[in-house]
Amino acid sequence: MANMKFLCDSKRCIECNGCVTACKNENEVEWGVNRRRVVTLNDGEPGETSISVACMHCSDAPCMAVCPTDCFYKTDDGIVLHNKDICIGCGYCLFACPFGAPQFPSSSAFGERGKMDKCTFCAGGPEEDNSPEEYAKYGANRIAEGKLPMCAELCSTKALLAGDANDVSDIFRERVVYRGHNDGAWAMEEELAYDATQPKA
Amino acid sequence: MRLTKRDQDTSTAQTGLGLSRRHFLRNTSIATGGVAAASFLAPGMIQQAEASKSAVHSSPVDVKRTICSHCSVGCGVYAEVQNGVWTGQEPAFDHPFNLGGHCAKGAALREHGHGERRLKYPMKLVDGKWQKVTWEQAIDEIGDKMQAIREESGPDSVYWLGSAKFNNEQAYLFRKFAALWGTNNVDHQARICHSTTVAGVANTWGYGAMTNSFNDIHNCKSIILIGANPAEAHPVSLQHIFRAKERNKAHIICVDPRFTRTAAHANEYIRIRPGSDVAFIWGLLWHIFENGWEDKQFIAQRVYGMDKIRTEVANWTPAEVESVTGVPEEQMRQAAKSLADNRPGTVIWCMGGTQHTTGNNNTRAYCILMLALGNMGKAGGGTNIFRGHDNVQGATDLGVLSHTLPGYYGLTDGAWKHWSKVWDLDFEWVKSRFDQSVYRTLKPMNNSGIPVSRWIDGVLENKKNIDQNDNLRAMVYWGHAVNSQTRGVEMKTAMEKLELMVIVDPYPTHAAVMHDKKDGVYLLPATTQFETYGSVTASNRSIQWRDKVIEPLFESKPDHIIMHKFAVKLGFDEQLFKNISISNEEPLIEDITREFNRGMWTVGYTGQSPERIKEHQQNWHTFNETSLKGEGGPADGEYYGMPWPCWGTPEMRHPGTPILYDTSKSVAEGGLPFRARYGVEHEGTNILAEGSFTKGSEIKDGYPEFSAELLKKLGWWSDLTQEEQLAADGKNWKTDMSGGIQRVAIKHGCAPFGNAKARAIVWTFPDQVPLHREPLYSNRRDLVSKYPTFDDAESIYRLPTLYKSIQAKDVSTDFPIILTSGRLVEYEGGGEETRSNPWLAELQQEMFVEVNPSDANTLGFKNGDDVWLIGPEGGRIKIKALITPRVDKGVAFLPFHFGGQFQGKDLTSKYPEGSAPYVTGEAANTAMTYGYDPVTVMQETKVSLCRIEKATA
Amino acid sequence: ADKASEAKVSGFAGAEYWRVIKDGNEGTSQVKGIEAGVLINVEGEYWRHLRNKWVSPYGAYALLGVLCTLLIFYLIVGQKKLDHPRTNKKIKRWSQLDRANHWTVAILFITLALTGLSLLYGKFFLKGLLGDSIWGNYIALCKILHNYLGPLFMLALLIMIVRWLKHNFFNATDLRWFIKGGGIFGNAHPSAGFLNGGEKVWFWLLTFGGVTISISGLILDFPLFGQTREIMQWSNIIHAVSSLILIAASFGHIYIGTAGTEGALEGMTTGYVDESWAKQHHDLWYEEKKTKSTNEPM
Ligand SMILES: Nc1nc2c(c(=O)[nH]1)N[C@H]1C(S)=C(S)[C@@H](COP(=O)(O)OP(=O)(O)OC[C@H]3O[C@@H](n4cnc5c(=O)[nH]c(N)nc54)[C@H](O)[C@@H]3O)O[C@H]1N2
Ligand SMILES: Nc1nc2c(c(=O)[nH]1)N[C@H]1C(S)=C(S)[C@@H](COP(=O)(O)OP(=O)(O)OC[C@H]3O[C@@H](n4cnc5c(=O)[nH]c(N)nc54)[C@H](O)[C@@H]3O)O[C@H]1N2
Ligand code: HEM
Ligand code: HEM
Ligand code: SF4
Ligand code: SF4
Ligand code: SF4
Ligand code: SF4
Ligand code: SF4
Ligand SMILES: [Mo]
Repeated sequence: MANMKFLCDSKRCIECNGCVTACKNENEVEWGVNRRRVVTLNDGEPGETSISVACMHCSDAPCMAVCPTDCFYKTDDGIVLHNKDICIGCGYCLFACPFGAPQFPSSSAFGERGKMDKCTFCAGGPEEDNSPEEYAKYGANRIAEGKLPMCAELCSTKALLAGDANDVSDIFRERVVYRGHNDGAWAMEEELAYDATQPKA
Repeated sequence: MRLTKRDQDTSTAQTGLGLSRRHFLRNTSIATGGVAAASFLAPGMIQQAEASKSAVHSSPVDVKRTICSHCSVGCGVYAEVQNGVWTGQEPAFDHPFNLGGHCAKGAALREHGHGERRLKYPMKLVDGKWQKVTWEQAIDEIGDKMQAIREESGPDSVYWLGSAKFNNEQAYLFRKFAALWGTNNVDHQARICHSTTVAGVANTWGYGAMTNSFNDIHNCKSIILIGANPAEAHPVSLQHIFRAKERNKAHIICVDPRFTRTAAHANEYIRIRPGSDVAFIWGLLWHIFENGWEDKQFIAQRVYGMDKIRTEVANWTPAEVESVTGVPEEQMRQAAKSLADNRPGTVIWCMGGTQHTTGNNNTRAYCILMLALGNMGKAGGGTNIFRGHDNVQGATDLGVLSHTLPGYYGLTDGAWKHWSKVWDLDFEWVKSRFDQSVYRTLKPMNNSGIPVSRWIDGVLENKKNIDQNDNLRAMVYWGHAVNSQTRGVEMKTAMEKLELMVIVDPYPTHAAVMHDKKDGVYLLPATTQFETYGSVTASNRSIQWRDKVIEPLFESKPDHIIMHKFAVKLGFDEQLFKNISISNEEPLIEDITREFNRGMWTVGYTGQSPERIKEHQQNWHTFNETSLKGEGGPADGEYYGMPWPCWGTPEMRHPGTPILYDTSKSVAEGGLPFRARYGVEHEGTNILAEGSFTKGSEIKDGYPEFSAELLKKLGWWSDLTQEEQLAADGKNWKTDMSGGIQRVAIKHGCAPFGNAKARAIVWTFPDQVPLHREPLYSNRRDLVSKYPTFDDAESIYRLPTLYKSIQAKDVSTDFPIILTSGRLVEYEGGGEETRSNPWLAELQQEMFVEVNPSDANTLGFKNGDDVWLIGPEGGRIKIKALITPRVDKGVAFLPFHFGGQFQGKDLTSKYPEGSAPYVTGEAANTAMTYGYDPVTVMQETKVSLCRIEKATA
Repeated sequence: ADKASEAKVSGFAGAEYWRVIKDGNEGTSQVKGIEAGVLINVEGEYWRHLRNKWVSPYGAYALLGVLCTLLIFYLIVGQKKLDHPRTNKKIKRWSQLDRANHWTVAILFITLALTGLSLLYGKFFLKGLLGDSIWGNYIALCKILHNYLGPLFMLALLIMIVRWLKHNFFNATDLRWFIKGGGIFGNAHPSAGFLNGGEKVWFWLLTFGGVTISISGLILDFPLFGQTREIMQWSNIIHAVSSLILIAASFGHIYIGTAGTEGALEGMTTGYVDESWAKQHHDLWYEEKKTKSTNEPM
């Protein structure tokens, strides 16, 4: 089975926010909830660097570990999904997530945050694949259609890569060869050995 | 950092008028329970509601091929439609320009299918209130008023402001429409966008367009970006730039007053003072000439006038360059050297160069740099001028301009006769539509009309000073926001003086709200380009076909149908549509394409028949990603979109010209020399090419443009068929409607437009050699006397135009900060469309000004504070301060996409109900000032002065 | 090791940037929201570690430990009976208001404890037991109850603290009471006033613990003031630790109030205690009461 991962090539990411609106478009995520965001460091100064982040679908997912309701589950493709029916909107997953991926439609008195929403790797949720119910709760299920995440597919500069960890690191390795250095990758390292100087395991 | 509001929540504010995919699915899951479905749909949506009611989730998916409408990159899109609802957008991996990629705007395109904030039906202002009217009533009332104005003041008192958002067919029809109404008071965005490029570049070597393509950038070894920020304005182009950077190790230099997102990805960033581009380029050339790095052979064979440039450049010593531009000698030398060492290289420029009183000087200077380096006419070289709107190239080519007819034929009687012939109309009748009086030296028919940048002066200027009968009394804003033009305060006065304002747009726009008029304003809902179809020309001159994705939303109508309605009302529909079939009020798009195919010989829009364009559209996957050449398939050997010039008739199947002036290919394969446009000699010197010619040319030297006469002289006349001879006799390559002259020239390996040198000097322009001149509002008073602006002019494009008298006033103590403006990736133009798209609006919620930390400290405000920015002509805008080192000390930057607020007043409540954009803000141009390029009347939006104060209340 | 804590960038624009990010330094983002500009939530891992590796298991050990101790104690020592038979003379000990206040606090506390513990431990056994759908509803109810009752508890507790403060100042008697170990073992009955040293400890534990729980709870309950994740994480840890301590302590209190001591519960249910009980457990108060009662009608 595949092991799905994202990699953002920060040498190419230009903070065009294409990935962000692509996600809105594909999943009709409401105003205020952003499954993906682009973070820029040193904005406006030499060394300005942007990285697109969403849920990284961690191997040993912190969100999963802290969720009081145990609503997360992992697919065979290594995608971390969750069941909105069980979610109580406590926010613990957001506290734990290294990447700030979980999002909440609101944050009002008495901890009423609504159901947590996060990047699904465009793989929907526990409902029947591509059913209207699944779309309403989780957005698109591109994986079931044999497609890859919309954000990566629409990335303007091909900075954002998504797919099986091996394929993604192959693509990046090719760039590394051209560049002559392996700067720029942003991913979960243990999955993506993209150091071109080292043979692929 | 950008500023955002915390508490904006649109989910509750939604009116639920458009149809989203969620709605769609909600509908389908309640399949037959139509009542529930209809409850969230307004009356205007019934059609869609009906369509979706019967839809089931699994209803068949219809995939349309269309093109993003937000910039000139021309990214391809697959739109998925189910039962008439736009339910999905898929990446077009096989599209040669974007290979599936999109920036924020392109990735949010499907929102056009929701259109929640659209103008839903025709409206009219009655006693300060918006009232719904029918199309018939609106057209009737407007038409009557226009006829009345025409009777009293002549046709020139109605202004037809068109759009780069039109597809080619609508653009062409619009220009023809204005012509048949009888005026040259017609224009569009190109005027305030790349007009100085078009003029400067065309006058240098023939055509004023991007010479190569985004894809060809793969071949560059060096890239100098000057006054361009493609990371925000043409994001997908970075895909190609990165390829050059990674695979070719191309050296990228970014020259800009701001450290832009593009600069962040360049190898080298050079900060210049706004408005000092000519000085900068001369500074580079100083080192190039000094070290003999120029391409001497190229200059000798293909460039005229470089000596005069050398003389001027000699004045630009490193010290002088540093004083004027702020760039130190070593950095200049390094930059010059890396351009010289890494050839071929390209220059990419955009608004940072064009929007100046010296705009045409800038653009010519950039060209001269590339000529000196011998980078022209080569893969990996060229002047890659990134154009603006999705179809600004097409709308320019098709002449939605006040100074020319389609195809840059100009406004001479000859030009009118040519087009009258194409239109199959009697020239005398066309002429009779115009005001026949002579103003100054010209009749309005042969004189450039008022440009969009100055329509306000057309209203406000004393009519005795205008070269037409009367002031402008009616304005038609047809796909053009007004917050994109400067002098907002005077604009408000002008609007209030107008008797009739007609806004034809999918959105109400800032124009609907910024004035205090009580009546005389009409809003007519146009569709977007996804509710119609036709061809569109990308920046690289490729022509692409768009499918219709969805039926018009609400009561909106495509522009060509609205034009038909007006033509019927105004009584010239028979002439306008003489050879264009109409069904159900809709002029047939393909007939329009074929009509301009018959007339556009100058720029080679003649070979791209609708059938050929559609064939390319259906075969995106067959074109090479770098060369754009078709590899196999039905378009084998042709270049994608047949980048113009695509010579001759469609039957000739010319492949298009992927790289202009490339002599390594034969003309038949898309090669070209420089155009012979200015005769054969100048001041006794030959200006035709010497020893340089395209591959396979039978004339192994320069030659003038082709005409029947020349063919006869060369003994090639007999190569024409009988019919061709009949049509071509007495004609030239531009006016021979049989295409025979072009065909025969190409058959002999020659370019129909001749083979000349590029001219580094333009003797028909105010500055023969491009000169540095200080902007009208300069804070470098020491330089003003040394590099003064032009003298005031009595009449440019019908209007008196001020230069020195404005520059003479020193306002730099009260307005010490240099003000420039430009783009944000999420929004486009005046921003009405994109600020009404929640997926985009969420990302930019506040109008702001970028200020350097040091200035902010001195002026006493912090990041996120409200400030007043005040221009020297009195415009004041209340905005947020964004403190960032992105701008230099003493420089401030404004994005210009905001509207819906005016000098501290929020105008949201003045929009027709439910049509206010999600985000409003002060328009930058409320504070922007006077200043126009003397050749094209480009407005000076890239450099002015201002004062910034902390807002207390 | 937690793999996510190794989430890393490799050669990401150089080591300097990695350091900046690892430090949790903030960049900028067009996406708004609290901390949208933070690329890596550095504290998140720390919090997870604290909560999942320390608070949760040790909390469980502590609770179970206390329960077991009480059970063993009960089995060995049994209920502390009245030394003297009841006189059936009732002495007023808790007013109606006192009792209402106590039981409000008690019921709320127990509800909060049960719902809170469900949040902390429920998924380990209840989820499997109940099945997804019942579990989902149950835990949602827990969260709602917990979040809405929490502030009520806080109010009730505050009233209790104010009203009972006067009984709870420590004095020399309490010191002696402690020295004698509260008379847990054997038959010694150290002197005590209205409340004995142990009860006062419970009171103060509750006061300080309750306030800590309340404040941390309010921070968690009202995420409206742009609290950063770091603040929320610390609040959560403090909340959980202090509530676990209190829960453990409450076991002791409840034990003493019910199975542990004969006759104690009456005071909190009826308001009156038997004279014998009063004499045995709160002799000083009994004396005082007696002298007073001669003057006061009961
Ligand atoms: N997102 C987005 N994309 C767009 C558009 C949009 O509105 N939004 N509009 C489209 C259109 S119509 C156009 S024309 C293009 C424009 O595209 P660009 O011209 O690339 O965009 P701008 O931001 O207007 O200007 C570019 C740069 O010029 C710099 N500049 C300012 N003054 C000077 C100067 O004196 N000299 C030099 N060398 N540089 C200077 C500014 O700092 C700015 O970074 O973008 C197109 N694409
Ligand atoms: N200060 C400052 N001012 C500037 C600039 C700058 O850099 N700084 N840049 C200048 C430049 S380069 C340009 S190009 C202009 C751009 O400025 P504008 O062209 O005024 O900006 P847009 O908002 O793109 O205008 C297009 C309008 O067409 C409408 N529209 C969209 N599709 C259609 C259609 O199919 N039919 C019709 N009828 N209407 C449609 C949109 O709703 C929108 O109102 O601004 C110029 N002004
Ligand atoms: C079923 C559970 C409980 C029972 C049976 C119980 C019983 C009692 C009894 C009998 C007394 C009176 C002792 C006396 O008269 O000296 C008492 C006092 C008290 N109870 Fe409880 N109680 C329970 C739960 C709680 C809880 C949950 C709290 C607090 C959160 C609490 C806080 C107190 C306090 C503060 C006092 C006053 C005496 C003191 O300071 O110890 N009780 N309780
Ligand atoms: C002012 C009173 C209180 C408030 C406002 C409050 C609020 C909260 C909140 C907001 C949470 C986070 C859970 C969620 O949002 O779903 C929480 C968790 C919790 N609370 Fe309370 N609470 C209060 C009192 C108590 C008391 C009295 C106890 C125990 C006796 C308690 C025990 C717990 C426990 C065990 C958790 C779970 C911690 C974890 O899972 O890490 N709370 N509380
Ligand atoms: S679309 Fe690609 S380049 Fe643009 S912000 Fe997202 S990751 Fe970066
Ligand atoms: S939500 Fe956060 S912790 Fe959970 S898998 Fe995604 S990135 Fe990892
Ligand atoms: S918010 Fe929902 S998903 Fe996140 S930890 Fe709480 S219950 Fe689990
Ligand atoms: S994978 Fe899908 S859900 Fe996740 S950020 Fe990308 S588009 Fe959004
Ligand atoms: S706006 Fe331009 S770059 Fe962005 S998707 Fe559209 S065409 Fe492509
Ligand atoms: Mo433009």
